[in-house]
Amino acid sequence: MFDRRVLSHFDWWLFAYVIAIMVIGAVNLNSASMASGVHYQWKQLEWYGIGLVLMFLFTIFDYRILTSYALHIYIITIFSLLLVMFIGKSISGSQRWIPLGFFHLQPSELAKLSTVIVISSYFYNHEKAHYGIKDLIRPAALMIVPFFLIFRQPDLGTALLVLLIMASIIIVAGLRWTSVISIIMACVGIMPLVWKFLKPYQKKRLETFLNPEMDPLGSGYHVIQSKIAVGSGQILGKGYMAGTQAHLDFLPEAHTDFAFSIWAEEWGFIGASILLAIYLLIILRGIEIACQSKERFGSFLAFGVVAMLFWQVVINTCMVTGLMPVVGIPLPMISYGGSSVITTMIGIGLLLNIKARRFIFESRK
Amino acid sequence: MKPPRRTLLNIKYFDKDINPIYKVRCRWAVILLVMVFAVLLARLWYLQINQGAELRAKSENNRLRTLRIQAPRGKILDRSGRIIAGVKPYFNVCIVREDVKDMEALIARLASILNESEADIRSSLYLGGKQPLYMPIIIKRAIDWDTLSKIEARLSRLPGVVVDVVPGREYPYGDIATHLIGYLGEISEDDIKNDLYPGALPGDMVGKSGVEARYNSELAGTPGKRIVEVDVKGGLVKTLEEIPPVSGSDIYLTIDLDLQMAAEDAMKDKVGAAVVLDPNSGRLLAMVSSPGFDPELFAKGITAEQWKVLNDPFYRPLFDKAIQGTYAPGSTFKIVTAAAALQEGVVNEDTTHFCPGYFRFGNRDYRCWKAGGHGVVNLYKAIVESCDVYFYKVGLKLGVDRIAKYAKAFGLGEKTGIDLPNEARGVIASSEWKKKKFKSKWYEGETLSIAIGQGYNNVTPIQMARLIATVANGGTLYRPIYVEKIVNPAGTVTASFNKDPQGTVPVSKANLRAIQNGLVGVVQDNMGTAKECRMKDMIVAGKTGTAQVVRQTKRKEDEKMAWKYRDHAWFVAYGPAESPQLAIAVLIEHGGHGGSAAAPVAKKIFERWLQLQAPRPSDSPERTAKIKSLKAHNPNV
Repeated sequence: MFDRRVLSHFDWWLFAYVIAIMVIGAVNLNSASMASGVHYQWKQLEWYGIGLVLMFLFTIFDYRILTSYALHIYIITIFSLLLVMFIGKSISGSQRWIPLGFFHLQPSELAKLSTVIVISSYFYNHEKAHYGIKDLIRPAALMIVPFFLIFRQPDLGTALLVLLIMASIIIVAGLRWTSVISIIMACVGIMPLVWKFLKPYQKKRLETFLNPEMDPLGSGYHVIQSKIAVGSGQILGKGYMAGTQAHLDFLPEAHTDFAFSIWAEEWGFIGASILLAIYLLIILRGIEIACQSKERFGSFLAFGVVAMLFWQVVINTCMVTGLMPVVGIPLPMISYGGSSVITTMIGIGLLLNIKARRFIFESRK
Repeated sequence: MKPPRRTLLNIKYFDKDINPIYKVRCRWAVILLVMVFAVLLARLWYLQINQGAELRAKSENNRLRTLRIQAPRGKILDRSGRIIAGVKPYFNVCIVREDVKDMEALIARLASILNESEADIRSSLYLGGKQPLYMPIIIKRAIDWDTLSKIEARLSRLPGVVVDVVPGREYPYGDIATHLIGYLGEISEDDIKNDLYPGALPGDMVGKSGVEARYNSELAGTPGKRIVEVDVKGGLVKTLEEIPPVSGSDIYLTIDLDLQMAAEDAMKDKVGAAVVLDPNSGRLLAMVSSPGFDPELFAKGITAEQWKVLNDPFYRPLFDKAIQGTYAPGSTFKIVTAAAALQEGVVNEDTTHFCPGYFRFGNRDYRCWKAGGHGVVNLYKAIVESCDVYFYKVGLKLGVDRIAKYAKAFGLGEKTGIDLPNEARGVIASSEWKKKKFKSKWYEGETLSIAIGQGYNNVTPIQMARLIATVANGGTLYRPIYVEKIVNPAGTVTASFNKDPQGTVPVSKANLRAIQNGLVGVVQDNMGTAKECRMKDMIVAGKTGTAQVVRQTKRKEDEKMAWKYRDHAWFVAYGPAESPQLAIAVLIEHGGHGGSAAAPVAKKIFERWLQLQAPRPSDSPERTAKIKSLKAHNPNV
């Protein structure tokens, strides 16, 4: 099973970017932990370790096996999401975690990855030059179940993320322009109806996003404080461990969703740009891998992983800089959380896997 | 979805030719990606560079709090340095709104612990509502130790509640000289608007009356400040900078605590005022307005019930009767009439008039207080027995304007200039005054009333005290002054007492002596109206007075009348007669006769003064000689 060429084609650059992100993540969590008094940085390092092992494991085998196991992965995902519904642990109003003794598994995190695999697999198996709306009914029906299970937790952010990942793969797989336009039109048409069906608190959230100062101590608080944290970093930042917004608890969730804010507060525009640049490099590397892959499944899979990372980075940074409503999407590797780290590292493993095997087919020709 | 029917790792079945169209799509993806990241970068640029300074200021504002450290208020002491109003820590219960989790629940819990109504707590919160959320709003001031321990024990379960320690007043000798000292109260919105207390902030305690108000800026000192770093809960993280407060200056009053307490004691359960002056300097030695009040009430917060008591329309505890109350002077005014008559040559010491018990003027009989009459009356007898008819006749000869001139010369109907707010002026009637006020001419019958101290004339107790002091010192009118010295925290005396003579009365020494002799007789003579004030070891001179409250066609026994219709009782006195050290004016509202109601109060003050003298005046040979000379003038002593 193990091919020595895999090692010789290992993408050391991508690996290096990931290690760089890990260093930043650990350094930043060290500061965030000081603020919260819980030592998240050590636990996160453990997750990094476990993540690295999983990354290598997902590099070793030929990723194409996954097409054979897409159904199994799909069923396991649905099952774990159902499990959350029944025995899940609820933290601050959301039931997202399955207690596993040593850690709480967050199946919705893994669902992002399974979406990538399942949808890639689907389009790989149903090859067409262009897809129309009719061709989307089956994958949509496939994803509606995990979508609603996640939506119900409630975790609107991850649910939308799953849709975005699916949409990204569909676009790459090739959707007719007419279909793209009609879907967008349908979405716009449905908007007012959706608004009508939203719960009052959800409406309020959207309103606060549009005008956070309306409720500075309530739902607008997180955004305002996060913007203050990011902005007050100015060019060079306040210095490591000197972020007053995070250390004096003005910044909520500094170790999870708002980890980027404390980084930007302490390291300024320079630090924030460097972090974004590394993400950009990882994503560009992923797109390159998707392009270099000599077969469709590899392309879809790589692109799916890239989409997963891209949307999380964009949504999270937009959210903490006040460009988007707060929806609770973590920043991959930087936000504290085992499930998120594992999902991301498996994704990276898949990218390395696809990259390493890009020449294999040619050689067999 | 069906799994692909391909064997595992059977790679040759996989397509190998990648559709070039994917590469195009990937290129689009890269462009899109770079654009999105450019937007993110632009956002960071906007927040961190364009708005950076502003948001940095906001983050500083988040973490830095400037707390004011209240300066301990200066003490108010008596002339010998005994503390009348000192300083002790007050514990105020405050709410910091930004730390409160559930305001409704908190209000309910606090209401039960503090024994306050929820509405009161809400109104305190409302009044402080304009301040920043982190500023503590005082809910209840000066809680007692029991409440403090209750609160402290529950503090962890009352998020948002803090107990502030601030310097407050303590009164080691109890509620004495409350009107002079004044009270502290929370600064009002109007005070702030009018900048009555420069530098004071909402929630500060400021002097609202008396010395506390007049010398507020000296007493208040300079507050310090502490710049602290706080966390989101408002909890103190560390102190970054501290400027200590400078405490206020101490004010030494001219008040003699012993005399003040004696006067307070004598006035207990009476309604009225007593003023004690040093006749030789104008120093205020004691000043009582009764009933008094508990000045701490204002610091702790007053209940509606307490407020009602303080504003009782009959007893008027908040009203300083000594300087604000105006009353007809009654027979004490005969001092003025006598001085005017002697000086104007209307009578001399030996001129006699006959008193049949009434004086017929026009078609009306003006009564003397003594039904049977006093018979043949000279000046001495007229003063000692307070003969009305003598003064009717003398007054008629003088005319109202000449009486008014002397009354004003003695400082009646004018503010004494004591450095306190709201001093009343009173009224000394003249023909001109009447023309101005009522647009009508003066009737001579009215002069008769004026001559014996009834009618239009109205004076304050402190004016009367100054009058008797002027008589005692031989004619110098001093402005009453109550500050002996002001000492700043460094120990430097920044102001000290200087007597302020405002003129001499236009009455010759000989004429004043004639009046003084009469005043000695009032107390010492067996026929005198103030025998109640006679003392074994000291000769006191004085004059009683009874000010009519309602016109009485027929004099009834006072005891049978409703309290509020009874006459006011006056007594003005000085002593020791041979070398006056104290000048006292006592007014008892609705007390009845001056001799029986007011004179005993003065006597108690004199007695206390005498106790404090060492050696006793009676031991001095000089005094014995003076007493001999006085006795020569007063055969009845």
